[in-house]
Amino acid sequence: MQGTIAVQRLSKAFTIRYNKSNSLKSKFVGIFHKRYREEVETFWALRDIDFVIEPGEAFGIVGRNGSGKSTLLRVIAGIYPPTMGVVRLPQGSRIGAMIELGVGFHPELTGRENIFLGASIHGLKRKEIEALYPAIVDFSELGHFMDTAIKNYSSGMHARLGFALAINLNPTLFIIDEVLAVGDEGFQKKCLDAMHQFKVQGQTIIFVSHDPRMVASVCDRVCVLEHGLQKFVGESAAAIDEYHKLLR
Amino acid sequence: MYPIFHYRELLRNLVLKDLKIKYRDSAIGFLWSLVNPLLLILVYSFVFSHILKVGIANFSFFLLIGILPWNFFAQSLMMSTGSILDNGGLIRKVALPMEIFPVATVLFNLAQFGLALLVFLPMTIFFFNVSIGWVTLWFFPLLLLHLFFTVGLCFLISTATVFYRDVRHFMEILLMLLFWLTPIIYDVKTIPESLRTVIYLNPQSFFILSYQDILYRQTAPDWQRLAILMGLAGAALGVGYRVTGSFKARFAEEV
Repeated sequence: MQGTIAVQRLSKAFTIRYNKSNSLKSKFVGIFHKRYREEVETFWALRDIDFVIEPGEAFGIVGRNGSGKSTLLRVIAGIYPPTMGVVRLPQGSRIGAMIELGVGFHPELTGRENIFLGASIHGLKRKEIEALYPAIVDFSELGHFMDTAIKNYSSGMHARLGFALAINLNPTLFIIDEVLAVGDEGFQKKCLDAMHQFKVQGQTIIFVSHDPRMVASVCDRVCVLEHGLQKFVGESAAAIDEYHKLLR
Repeated sequence: MYPIFHYRELLRNLVLKDLKIKYRDSAIGFLWSLVNPLLLILVYSFVFSHILKVGIANFSFFLLIGILPWNFFAQSLMMSTGSILDNGGLIRKVALPMEIFPVATVLFNLAQFGLALLVFLPMTIFFFNVSIGWVTLWFFPLLLLHLFFTVGLCFLISTATVFYRDVRHFMEILLMLLFWLTPIIYDVKTIPESLRTVIYLNPQSFFILSYQDILYRQTAPDWQRLAILMGLAGAALGVGYRVTGSFKARFAEEV
């Protein structure tokens, strides 16, 4: 179906190198000394992940630390190439990846400069950014601080600016990784409302969190990851139960 | 090359960011980047006109014509060792064309080169009675070739540094050696015929000699040399772009 995101038999391996060193000398020394030789081990961060996300759906990913959540997000966002399998994204989709809030923001630049920099990272043209600018400032409620260097912002203000930018980029796929922890309750609610609004417009959300309640309130379906394996995919409530079983 | 064009706004913002950060909160700002070449020219002019007499007319002007393009080239190459590596934070979090970063590095240095020219050129015209004619217009195509050549090498260097951090140290030494193998502070005609081959093995010599032809000797550049430069620029750009393209999928995991 058009607009569907399909993750098909996806596996991702990392090469773990002991004695890893990106220098020529250690590679050379390694030829003669076994102790300095690089030892290579393959680590499967993800194995046989397989699911489909329909347009307009909010899809959650839960799992413990190191279960492969961030790796999965990065493969979907096109940052890491998959080792096996494929990720099919709809044609012309724009990914508003928030693997971290305020990606590319520079502390020395002002809020305004950072909005332009941050939006251009996602490939927007100046005219497009200028058109979005008022909405971003409005959403962030930081109108008075646009000419202040963001190194003077509090972490909450930083998060507000990052979220305001990401949601206003109008991505077809919105990826949020554990970002609503910062920001006060009022702003959290505003973010949740914005995401609901977003879903109503038929845009897709992938939401990652440690907090099962937050996931349940946002997501329609959830994938539970454990040691890089997909333990469960389905209804939020059932998935959260499954996740709690794993934690026990 | 299309992705670079598509992300031109990012390119612009990256260059502006570097310029702003470099000069924000410093009292004389951009003038700092003129101090280095100025001091170099003053010291060398004194040494080579009064102590070790090389006998080049308008030596300070001759030096300026060589030093500024050299600085553009050398600083681009040196900075490009960090183009991709230092943007690891971004590369691990957003999918974007990697080719942007070395290009931004070179354009940042090009901007500095342009600003330095804007300050120094009028000064030298005033002090040394240099005339500006039609032949001066050759400067622009030459600069374009120099730009392409430098971008091509920066693709290679920024990619290589991701996998071997040694490249940074190696470049420092290589650039120092290249400086003396390029006819910047001496005239190529004053060195023995047998040693000239060494100079001509260094591509940078052809660029500097052409700049000198156009601005110092006020003659049109040699056609043969220009053809060599076109070949070099095209080859560097083509090879560099391909190499970065074929390794870029691994950048996010390596930086």
